Amino acid sequence: MLQPDLVRLLTEGHVLVKSCDEDCLTGNTQEPRQSEEEEGEEGNPFNFTPQLIHLNKDHQLFEDGDIHRHMYLQDLYISEAEDKPTLSVSEFACHISGCSAIFSTLEEYEHHYNSLHRHVCCSCRRSLPSARLLDIHIQEWHDSLFTILSQRQDMYQCLVEGCGQKFSTSKHRKDHLIKIHKYPPDFRFDKTKKDKGNRQTKKQPQKDTTMDVEESMETHGSEEEAARMAKSASTEEHADLNAAAPSTESSSSDPLEPRYSYRVPTNVCFGRGSVRGFRGRRGRRK
Amino acid sequence: MWRLNKVRHKAGRPGDSVEELKLKRREHEKALRQARRDRQLVSKRLLLNDDEDQSEVTMDTNSGEQDVVAVLQKLHHSGPERDTHLKALSKALRDPSAQLTFIKQENSMHLLVGLLTGSDATCRLQAVRCLHELSHSPHTSVASACLPASPYLLTYLSGQSTKFTELCLYTLGNLCPDSVVKEKLLAQGIVPALASCLENQRHNLAVVEAVGFTLSQLLQANDAAEKIIPMVLASSLPSHLLSVLTPDPKFGLGPAIECAWCIHYLTCSMKDHRVLLAQGALLQCSSLLVSLGGAVAEGNKEEGMELLICPLLRCVGNLLSSCPLTDLSAQMGDVRIVVALCALLQAFLHTQPALARESAWVLNNLTAHSRALCSALLTLNLVPGLIQLLPFSQGINTMILRVLANIAHNKKDFCVQLAHRGLLSALCATLKMADQEMVTLSMDVLFMLVVSSPQVAEEFVKQGGLSLLEATQYNSEGEIRQRATHLLEHHLLS
Repeated sequence: MLQPDLVRLLTEGHVLVKSCDEDCLTGNTQEPRQSEEEEGEEGNPFNFTPQLIHLNKDHQLFEDGDIHRHMYLQDLYISEAEDKPTLSVSEFACHISGCSAIFSTLEEYEHHYNSLHRHVCCSCRRSLPSARLLDIHIQEWHDSLFTILSQRQDMYQCLVEGCGQKFSTSKHRKDHLIKIHKYPPDFRFDKTKKDKGNRQTKKQPQKDTTMDVEESMETHGSEEEAARMAKSASTEEHADLNAAAPSTESSSSDPLEPRYSYRVPTNVCFGRGSVRGFRGRRGRRK
Repeated sequence: MWRLNKVRHKAGRPGDSVEELKLKRREHEKALRQARRDRQLVSKRLLLNDDEDQSEVTMDTNSGEQDVVAVLQKLHHSGPERDTHLKALSKALRDPSAQLTFIKQENSMHLLVGLLTGSDATCRLQAVRCLHELSHSPHTSVASACLPASPYLLTYLSGQSTKFTELCLYTLGNLCPDSVVKEKLLAQGIVPALASCLENQRHNLAVVEAVGFTLSQLLQANDAAEKIIPMVLASSLPSHLLSVLTPDPKFGLGPAIECAWCIHYLTCSMKDHRVLLAQGALLQCSSLLVSLGGAVAEGNKEEGMELLICPLLRCVGNLLSSCPLTDLSAQMGDVRIVVALCALLQAFLHTQPALARESAWVLNNLTAHSRALCSALLTLNLVPGLIQLLPFSQGINTMILRVLANIAHNKKDFCVQLAHRGLLSALCATLKMADQEMVTLSMDVLFMLVVSSPQVAEEFVKQGGLSLLEATQYNSEGEIRQRATHLLEHHLLS
């Protein structure tokens, strides 16, 4: 509710605009923020300017008020006590390209995002439930160094945090998980590489790489745009992604590459559950 | 006078349950919405006799048709009981089918007009009553059948009998929307007649209300901008309308409501408001909003207040859109208008969301070019209240975000103040909304905040802004992706 002193301000005498020092009119005299500060910048996409909005009598914004007025004219006036219109609250939507999930609360959105879009392997697009499991996955599946080292030493970590034990093969680890930690034998996040079948051999045809979030795409050899995720969720195709940063402008030439490793940044989305069965060129164009 | 304290159930019959009434009302509302979409939203008013109640209106009038014929027969014979017959006729004419029957009878209108203009004052009153009932007919044939009476109705506007003048006015008002009738009325000088009536009778609030209604019917026409509005602006009507805007506490809101709607139709139909601005329309409407806002903030919500607040908001909103910047402080004068608007926003948010939306729109127009008012919103600590409105959709949050963007657009210091009042964390939520307009606006505001000072940029990063923006780089809309990348590359990571 309005603060009491403001209520008093409204109901008591006239208060003149204390604007002698402030320039009332900001039209042309305001600080030319954009042009001054960012003259050196090219392609500043931000273009907000304050707008004076004039509405004519048939405008949509006026509909409810007009109806109320005419109900009154026709002796159908409804007092506040009787009529309770519903005030609606904005929904949230996952805007990640390819995902069209909608949520009524922010919490639901965050849960969705954290579950499906956060810890996703950029190589094989699998979604893991935590950063740790993602790290382990990448290490074991996509790191050739790991493969070499694991032949000589115990490299397969126990998946349970805090356990710390390591094993020479994934089978040993699995046995340990089942025996000691009572895990189910078909734990989803402990599939061996062999289980994934022919994934490795399948390769997405180059053409499909252009279907994607942006108009122009960089293709470095067999590299696929990291942002492309409009593939069917059910087919876990091996994508030949390179480790480059997800660049979204054709003009940029991987300025952020050094920051990234095989692992996709924690908050980039892809992978199962987040894709809605798109195949091929997306019809949507900006 | 329209008695708001009695909720009238025109659609229902006595004995209807509450649920049935609600249903009928909803149906009616649906019909009105469709009519508005077709740009055919027209209403007529029925002035009841002082001695009757609304419940009498819905009584069975099946026998109306026969009554009409019978009474007409009696009327054709002159006699001392004519006024009684006329009274019976007016009752019979409540029934729409009886109305049709009446006009089909030979010489019926001629007879009625004769009685309207005759020497018997009581008969005149009853005759105009009959015409009033006829004017309420939904059939266009009835409206055009009433045309012979129109020059007399106009002439009588300069009379002194309140009840009679009222009936003439409401009858004319009901007939106006018919295009054939409207053309004739305009030619017969309805605008000057209304102007002089209002001028002479402006202390007679019942008549003022009636004039307001009739004028609003004229001004609502879809083609009003071509002829009617220039005529009205050239007359003395605008200044008189403005002078009766302040409601009389004893009489009630009725007259002010009608006049406010007239001014609204005047302001929304054209872009050039010099005449109205010169007469102080903006000043008048905005100071009235301030006092109404104060009443609402104190908890004195008079019933029907929103019927007056709504057109006033629209007048201010549209007048602002054409008010020269140099005149703004002279025309507005009072920084309390932003306080009033915030009070209205909060008070009506749950009960009349449309009113909240319109208040937000006016706030946008106020803040679009006035640094002083933007500053006032900050110094009077109204910003947190605005931020709390950002979850609400249907046009409310987009407009509020525009207001906040207007504030930010002024100077960097304002951006810093906005950030301190919680706008950054609010934006982290609005960026995730389904409404694309909200997302785009949020990006724009975020940009202004982040570039305003390194501290704000730091604070944003602390709140997890980087990962939010990185995720936004994968937004399905190219424009959004562009903005996210630009912000990251040029302002947050470099």
